[in-house]
Amino acid sequence: MEPAVEIVDLVKRFGNTIAVDKLNLSIYDGEIFGLLGPNGSGKSTTLLIISTVYKPTSGDVYVYGKSVVKNSDEVRKYVGIAFQEPKALWVDKPYEILLWHAMVVGYSMSDARKVVRQVMEDLGVWEYRNKMFSELSGGNKKKVELAKVFIQKPRLAIFDEPTAQLDVITKHQVWNMIEDLRRNGSTIIVATNEMSEAERLSDRIGIMYRGKLRALGTPEELKDGIPGGDIIEIIVDGPVRESFVEAIKNDIDAVRIDLKDAVIRIYVNKGEEKIARVVDMFSRGGLKVRQISLKEPTLDDVFFYYTGAKLAGDNN
Amino acid sequence: MREDLRALLLVTLWDVRKVARYKVFLLMRFAWFIVQVSVFAVLISYLVTIRSLGTSGIGYYEYYLFGAYTALLFSISMFRGYEIAEEFEEGIIEYQLSLPIKRRILAIGRTIGGGIASFIYTLPMMLFILLLLGITNPVLIAIAVLSALAFSIGIVGLAINIVFGLKSGDKTDILFGVVDALLVRLSTIFYPLPFLSVFPPYFYAAMYNPLSNMADFLRALFFFQDLKIFIHAPPENLVSYIVGLSVGLSILAMLFIERRVEGGGWK
Ligand SMILES: Nc1ncnc2c1ncn2[C@@H]1O[C@H](COP(=O)(O)OP(=O)(O)OP(=O)(O)O)[C@@H](O)[C@H]1O
Ligand SMILES: [Mg+2]
Repeated sequence: MEPAVEIVDLVKRFGNTIAVDKLNLSIYDGEIFGLLGPNGSGKSTTLLIISTVYKPTSGDVYVYGKSVVKNSDEVRKYVGIAFQEPKALWVDKPYEILLWHAMVVGYSMSDARKVVRQVMEDLGVWEYRNKMFSELSGGNKKKVELAKVFIQKPRLAIFDEPTAQLDVITKHQVWNMIEDLRRNGSTIIVATNEMSEAERLSDRIGIMYRGKLRALGTPEELKDGIPGGDIIEIIVDGPVRESFVEAIKNDIDAVRIDLKDAVIRIYVNKGEEKIARVVDMFSRGGLKVRQISLKEPTLDDVFFYYTGAKLAGDNN
Repeated sequence: MREDLRALLLVTLWDVRKVARYKVFLLMRFAWFIVQVSVFAVLISYLVTIRSLGTSGIGYYEYYLFGAYTALLFSISMFRGYEIAEEFEEGIIEYQLSLPIKRRILAIGRTIGGGIASFIYTLPMMLFILLLLGITNPVLIAIAVLSALAFSIGIVGLAINIVFGLKSGDKTDILFGVVDALLVRLSTIFYPLPFLSVFPPYFYAAMYNPLSNMADFLRALFFFQDLKIFIHAPPENLVSYIVGLSVGLSILAMLFIERRVEGGGWK
């Protein structure tokens, strides 16, 4: 089957900054794809190129087989995007903004009125319809931005950090609406920093770091893919020397150890057998252990593993 | 094609619907214009005595009114064009570029929309002049409206071209100031062309100046008999110039915007 989106050797530079660095990625028709990555990793830039707002420096993106470079007019017929930063003139009113949007994406005047009202009610912003955009709260601005895509129901729906400023209840509402959209046939890309969001929504997840794709798979695959399936997490008082970390690593045959501030994460196999030995080594090393735990990796760990501070065991 | 027209209409609406928001601005402009044409214009026309050629007593006052209107339409159109280009820098364009609209339609639609909006701002002023002069011929009024519309679209196109032609914002602001000042001065807005012939560069600049062509066209349209010695070309030439200018500058604006966003996006 032809993928919904095919990103081929995509490069995007802004002056000396490389925002996207030879990215290759396919997104399947009908899936919800989560794009994860720390700030500045190139998520938004990638999404803006897919929606033909920015042009690639080199490489190309095919959306349902149409090139964003050669056929951007065609690509835009398939794509709708809710931007990370809501885009509207500050003097505009939400109802006007969305009515105009609905007409532009193809609704007749009377259908536009209906769908705008429906979506605004679903998102809980109907009562603000005639306020000035600049007077809305951050979260409500974001909801108006999201409403654009829910109104449009595009074949490829792109959400850039959709729930970043939303309260918990609205977050769940938005997730449900995104799932509904997929049920009605849209392919969906969601960029996010929030693991819970990615895990809740995504069929597959891609993790970007410095413009490159570092990991790709279902949430389960990613968690299983971390070498040393168990993680011993230790919080200590005082600084930890690198040589000490290296010694532990060799002693218990850890796959890798990440050290960030006072938190030490040891990736090992058979963690339950090694935890006692670790505690022992710490006390002999004169370090006071405040807290120690053994856990299965979460998506946070996956994220941390691929993008976080690396000290030991980094063979990339 | 139908789809394109629909999109064009909607894009045009983006700018036109903004008119309603500038009520206060519009009212102040209107008030100032009334003072200008009913106080200053009368005073000046006492100072400037032109031998009235017709029997109707038409003179500098009538000449001045159309000049004042044209200058106003020009500066409002420049301002709108500048604002449209500013929006490009402020992120609205990112939203518009993501919409299912052809780039070409978007570019030309914003130019036309800006032109229509500028013209609507000045409509009360135009009607006020026509009222002052007691003009009621609907055909002439329709021609005046259409030509003013063409003119304002052309000027919005000019403003967009200036902004996109220059990369730096500072340079743009300076050039805007210069163009604004020069075009109004080097024109027949307030001085009839024959008076300018003492200084040939001025004379020719004024002759090819869009403002001169617009103002003179309006003069010719309503008072051809009385003002014809001041008007440098036959009305059909003047109007062709305006329409040509409008079409040319808006196509150029469209190409500038397209080039900015070629190969997909604009950054
Ligand atoms: N318009 C631009 N001009 C210059 N540099 C840019 C522009 N847009 C993005 N960048 C740079 O490109 C890099 C990637 O930015 P991008 O916005 O794609 O990251 P992101 O993953 O979306 O981050 P965040 O999680 O903060 O939204 C950053 O270094 C950023 O500074
Ligand atoms: Mg971003």
